[in-house]
Amino acid sequence: MLGIFQSSTIPALEQSLSFAQKRHELLAGNLANMDTPGYRSRDLDVGEFQNALAESVHNSRVANAAGRVGPITRDDLFAGPRAATEQVVFHDGNDVSMENQIMNISKNQHLHSLAITTMRSQFALLRAAITERA
Amino acid sequence: MLSSLDISTSALVAQRTRLNAISGNIANISSLTDEEGNPSAYRARQVVFQTDDSLSTSGASGVKVSEIKTDDSEPLYRYQPNHPLAIEEGKWKGYVAYPNIDLTTEMVDALETTRAYEANVGVMEISKNLGRETLSILA
Repeated sequence: MLGIFQSSTIPALEQSLSFAQKRHELLAGNLANMDTPGYRSRDLDVGEFQNALAESVHNSRVANAAGRVGPITRDDLFAGPRAATEQVVFHDGNDVSMENQIMNISKNQHLHSLAITTMRSQFALLRAAITERA
Repeated sequence: MLSSLDISTSALVAQRTRLNAISGNIANISSLTDEEGNPSAYRARQVVFQTDDSLSTSGASGVKVSEIKTDDSEPLYRYQPNHPLAIEEGKWKGYVAYPNIDLTTEMVDALETTRAYEANVGVMEISKNLGRETLSILA
């Protein structure tokens, strides 16, 4: 029964969602510390995550073709926070730029919405297939 | 997801504390005596922020007020020899000590605090939206 979910994009979407939620937490923390002296902003690397996810999806496809189900694993697609790129440092040692953070938060929100919407339609498709109704 | 709400709340609390300190500073801009009525010009209070890692396990951190500093700069002296609180002896004889509070600085700080508060309320709104969207998978 593993196949019903593994053959769809649901596992990949799940990873994207989980990533977006983790990243949102960090970005919220950055904005919370907008006025904390010496604070350096933290972020997760989106590009790295996307690459790792793509690779994981690809490997899973290859495994499927060989007749063996290779589930997409968590495998630390996002290994902990890191200090974001060095930017303008204010006189108090803080480097949080409000505009950048807000932009990141809203991009991240859209990524999250995208994953949710796609996931919902996947489930709707599955339900349609199960109930034999479109 | 819920801990991002905690983080934003910690920022709201911290910024609110800062705004309280600023209000106090502006309110006491001409307070010449302390709580007991002894002549002593009011000293401005400054709130110091610090990251608070106890709110989340994923590396994100909230913010907390680590201390409230009292400004120890010299008061402003104005020559008012007939004032009941005029200094009676020493270098500043005949002067009255007024609080050394710069209204412009305080107002700019107040604006910054307000904007930071608003930004965090915005993030909370987004956090709630994310949570709601996630729950909508169930429906």
